[in-house]
Order: sequence, then C-alpha cells, then structure tokens
Amino acid sequence: MIVVKDLVRQFKSGDRTIKPVNGVSFELEKGSLASIVGKSGSGKSTLLSLLGALDKPTSGDVVVDGVSLAGLPDGKLTEYRRRDIGFVFQQFNLIPNLSAVDNVMLPMEFAGVRKAARLQRAKELLEQVQLDPEKHSRRTNRLSGGEQQRVAIARALANEPKLILADEPTGNLDEQTGEHIIELLSSLSRDHNTTILVVTHDRSLAKKTERCFRLQQGRLTEEVRTESRR
Amino acid sequence: MSVLARSVGNAFRNKIRTAAVVAVLAVAIGLALAMLVANQAVGAKVQELNASVGTTLTVNPAGGQGFEGGGEPLTTAEAETAASVANVTSVVGTKALRLQTATAGTTDSATGTTQQGPGGGFGPGGQQATVTTNLTAAVDAGTLGNRNGSAGTTGTTGTQPVRALPITATGIGAEVDSTGKALDITSGTGLGDYTAAEAKTLVGTSLAEKNSLTVGSTFTIQDKTFTVAGIFDAGTTFGNNAVYVTLPEAQTLAETPDELSSMIVTVNSMENVDSTKTAVQDALGTDKADVTQGQRNLETAVSSLDSVKNISMVAFIAALATAGIIILLIMVMLVRERRREIGVLKAIGARNRTIGLQFVLESLVLVALGSVVGAVIASLASGGIASALISSNSTTTAATTTQRGGGLAGAMPNGAVPGGGLPGGGLPGGQGGPFGGASQLLTSVTASVSPGVLAAGIAAVFAVAIIGALVPALLTARIRPIEVLRGE
Repeated sequence: MIVVKDLVRQFKSGDRTIKPVNGVSFELEKGSLASIVGKSGSGKSTLLSLLGALDKPTSGDVVVDGVSLAGLPDGKLTEYRRRDIGFVFQQFNLIPNLSAVDNVMLPMEFAGVRKAARLQRAKELLEQVQLDPEKHSRRTNRLSGGEQQRVAIARALANEPKLILADEPTGNLDEQTGEHIIELLSSLSRDHNTTILVVTHDRSLAKKTERCFRLQQGRLTEEVRTESRR
Repeated sequence: MSVLARSVGNAFRNKIRTAAVVAVLAVAIGLALAMLVANQAVGAKVQELNASVGTTLTVNPAGGQGFEGGGEPLTTAEAETAASVANVTSVVGTKALRLQTATAGTTDSATGTTQQGPGGGFGPGGQQATVTTNLTAAVDAGTLGNRNGSAGTTGTTGTQPVRALPITATGIGAEVDSTGKALDITSGTGLGDYTAAEAKTLVGTSLAEKNSLTVGSTFTIQDKTFTVAGIFDAGTTFGNNAVYVTLPEAQTLAETPDELSSMIVTVNSMENVDSTKTAVQDALGTDKADVTQGQRNLETAVSSLDSVKNISMVAFIAALATAGIIILLIMVMLVRERRREIGVLKAIGARNRTIGLQFVLESLVLVALGSVVGAVIASLASGGIASALISSNSTTTAATTTQRGGGLAGAMPNGAVPGGGLPGGGLPGGQGGPFGGASQLLTSVTASVSPGVLAAGIAAVFAVAIIGALVPALLTARIRPIEVLRGE
C-alpha cells in the first residue's frame, strides 16, 4: 500500500516560489491501476519523481508498505528505486547501444542477480510483453517506438517492483500501439498484483484506469468513477 | 552484461570519435614511453660510466702525465704509500714505454732530423723511455698537425722526413689498461703473474694485424724476444696500436726498476672517492703527485647525459600529464553527453560507484588501445628521439670539447714539442685530446624498448588515466536521477 501525506515540492525561480506539488495526499491499494491527469506543467512529472524517489520533497512523506521515504539516505533511496519501483518513461529511456535483453537485465544486475537467472527472466519478461523473440538481441535503437516501450515495461518489471510509475507511456506512440501498451499495463497490474500509477494528459487513457486523479496548480483531486474498469 | 562489457561497448559507441581519441592518446602515450625509454637508456649509460671509472683515481707524477710534462717519476714505494690510504682497495702501477721502429730511427738519422726531444729520447722529466722494436706501428702518421709537412710546404726546400709513429707499450701490474679498465682479450690469455718479469706480451688487434702476429708469435723489444700471449681489443685504433707487458718487465726494459709512470688507485665505493682522492694526494704530497679522478672527459659526458636524462624525465611527465588531461577532458565530455543516461541508470537502481566504475573502465579501454598504438610508436621512435635529444644536447658539449681538444692537438704536433716527440692522440681519449671522448660517450647510448620499461611506462599511463577518469567518474555521483525526467 502506498500512502502519500501532504506532499510539497517547491522551487525558487528568481524572486518567486513555485509549488508544482502543493499538499498532495492520497492512498493506493496494492495491485491498483491509477492515473494522474493534468495539463502540461501542472506538476505531474514532479509528483511522479517524488513518488519514485528521484527527487526529494520539500515537506510531506511517501510511505510504501509502511516504510517512510522521508529522511532515507541516498543509498537507501537507490535501494528503494532498485527493489520497489519500476519506471516507464515517455521517451522510453533505454540504453541505445544495448540489446533489448541487456536493457531488461540491467536492473537485475544492479540488484545482484546472477547472470544466468537474469538472462532467463529477461527473456521471459520480453515474451510477456510480446516482443518478437527475434528482436530480443537487437539494439533498442533499432526497434520501433511500440517495441521500445514494451522493452521499457519489461525492464520496469525486472525486479518485481511494488509500484510501477509510468510517465506518459503512450505519449510517443500512435493510438493503436498506445492501446496495446495500456492493455499490457492493465494485465500486468492484474497478473502480478503490481500497483501502477500512470501520469498522462490523455483523458481517454485515464478512463481505462481504476482510479483517476486530477492535478491542478499543485493540488490533487480524485475524479469519481461510476463504473469499474476491470 | 557486466560493467566491464558495458564499458567496452560504450568505448566503441562512436567509432570515429573513439579512433580520434585513441590516435591523440597514442601520440601522448607513445611520446611518454619514448621519453621513458630514452631516460632509462641514458640512466643506464650514466650508471655504466660511473661504475666503469667512477671509483678509480689516476696518480701521475706532479707536473707530468703520460708522455708529456716533467717532474720526478713515481716509485713503487709511493705505490705502497697510496695502498695504505683508507678505502683504497688496490693500486696498480704502470710503466709507459715508447717502442720506436728501428727503421724509422734510421730514416730520421739519414735526413739529419731528430724525432726526439732534447731529452735524448726522454721527455722533460723522463717519464717515458724509448726502446726499439722490430714491430711496425699500425697507425700511419698522416697529416694531423702538419707533422709530415704535407700542408703549407709551398716555398720550403728540402725533403721533409716521413715520420713513423711510435707504438705505446705499457707495463701493467694487473690485467687492466692504462686507465684501469679491464682488458678485453679477444684471443689467447693474459700475462699470468703481472708482478714477475716475463717475456710475454699482449698485443692490440690492429698492431697484431699489421705485423701478422697471432698468439704464440714472437717479436723483439730492445733485441729481446717476446712471445704474444694474447691479443686484446681496446676499441680504438690508437688503443689497439699498443703492447702490454708485465710491470717488472717494462721497468727492466726502461732500466728504471723502481719507477712508475702512473698509478691506478681503486676506491672501495663511489661515496669515498672524493675523500680518498684528497687523502692519497696528502699522503703522496702535492709536489710529488697529481691525483685525478677517472677520465677527464667523463664529467662533461655525464653532465650532458644527466641533462638529457632530466629533459627526458620532464618530457615523460609532461606527456603523461597530457595523456591524463586528454582522458579527463574526454570523460568529462562523455559524462556531460550522457547525463540523461546516467539519470536512467540511477533511476533503475544503479549505485554511484557502479556508474563511476563504468566510466573509469571505459577510459581504461581507450587508454589500453592508446597504449598499444603508443607502444608501437615508442618502439619505432624512441631511438630517434633519444638520438635527437642527445645530439641536440651534445652540440654545446661537442663545441666546447672540440675547441678544447683542438687547442691541445694543435699545440702538440708530432715531434714539434721540444723533447716530447708527442704522438697525435697520445693522451687518453684519442683524437682531439682528453675531451674528445665526450661526444663518443654521448652517441654510444642505445635506446631499446625493453619489456620492463614498457610495462612500467604503461603502468604509469594507466595510473594517470585512472586519476584523470576519477574526476568525471565522481562527477557522475553529482548527477541526480531526476535528470532522466528533464525534457520529458
């Protein structure tokens, strides 16, 4: 379970103080698929970076399965990212000179998984995200956008994280491929009981998630749903 | 894929840039290795020179040296005095003779000229004796110093005598040459007991060849028959136009049984040379003996070699620093270029040290490639670089030594010095007088790339590269993982 408590992140811009995240609080049950929508510059990515321990909040806290991130040293935050978080980015952010399978193996290498075990799991994950086996050994810069995003999702799942944070995962994809990616995330959420939080400005995508939050001027409100997605 | 494999892969991401970086590194590393090789070669030469003559003192009669000068001859009693000085390990006496070919004397007599000084075959002070032999000198008189009147003879009348150079004969108390250096006997044996008068000789290669002498051949000195026990190679034409006999035999031939021309005093260590030199000088008296250290040209040569050694060491360090700076700049550029990728690695759980190590290893891959090419460059260029360094540095020395040597040679044409009958190159060091050997010492340095020196140089390059790569590697620790979201 993920509990976000009165999270604030502020920046100084000249004489002004900007608060892209201003007192955000919410809870996510394990295995849920949620989305955060908002306009560009509304603070979606900042909130995501705070949840993923890529950045530190000015105040407030994120508690993951009872563990507070506030006050954790950098080493522990790295460990948290490695063990509990999987990231999926709009730009995929794969290592271009590595193959698909090598990219998926990276988080496992950092977690100290033995080479044979990580190779086997990487191949399984790539099959799970339905990447053509012929393309497992192909460099990721030679894959299409949809294929790269599948590799990125497989990489996010590598260490069986508690939470997957996806930042505009369909932003660079055509509509049909975007649909496939959302279906994939949805099935992963069900099958692996993984909590998935998707940040998007695409309302049609957000409608496919169980819960949808709106971020506006740094404040979060939850939209009420009349039907269940699943 | 391990960190190492990833680093190797990253090093070849941009092949053109990698090739350019390796080429620049190779030049810097090659220069560094070449300088190290030159430094080691020169250092070894300096050590060799110091080891060969560094602990040897030469004692000559006060005011005299070799065949020139005056003063009272040294005696065996003075050799015993020198031997009793602290730190002296051995004293070898020498007795110099000049062997005059009997026919040359006849020719000179026929032309009515004298080849000998007013001393009647003895120089001022009588440090040498002239005795006759049936050998022919292996060195032609030539025209050096206008000794045969071949230059500037226009307007002269009468026939100038054709001079024959004498042969140097030295009585020695041990199997060393007149400078204390061990004799290189190329065939036959030594003289055995150097303290006994015996009709055996060692003959220089060119003299043996000129007179068709081999081991076991005989010839005469003062009508006494001597057997060739061995043939030696002194390394110079002048040095090989010589004969060695035992010290007592030379003293007998000169009819001066107690006299010595010089003494070679060996000191137990280089550290004690200066103090022992003073002690020997004090023991013998400044009015009796001149004590000098080693070859006089050695100081000049070693000084020049030391300069080359210092220059090559500075150049080695500079080239190393250049390689380090190249690595530093390249890696800083790569880190800046890959900020986002570093952010991604951190976002997916890579530790700072893992990323830092990856960049250090990547730099080492570039350095390894640069070292391979650099080693090839060094092996091809080190000889030339060493020669260039030495020749440019010895230009000043050579100019100085030529000036000095020329002055001496010009002042001492054969037979022109009253009572001297001084042969050209009669001083140690050969042509050009005592300083002429400096240039030879400098140019005889051979720079060859040994595996040990190469390994040491490459180890130094790697050490500098690691230091150079550590700075950008540490920079990666400062990159925050949120970089990955920039531009999203």
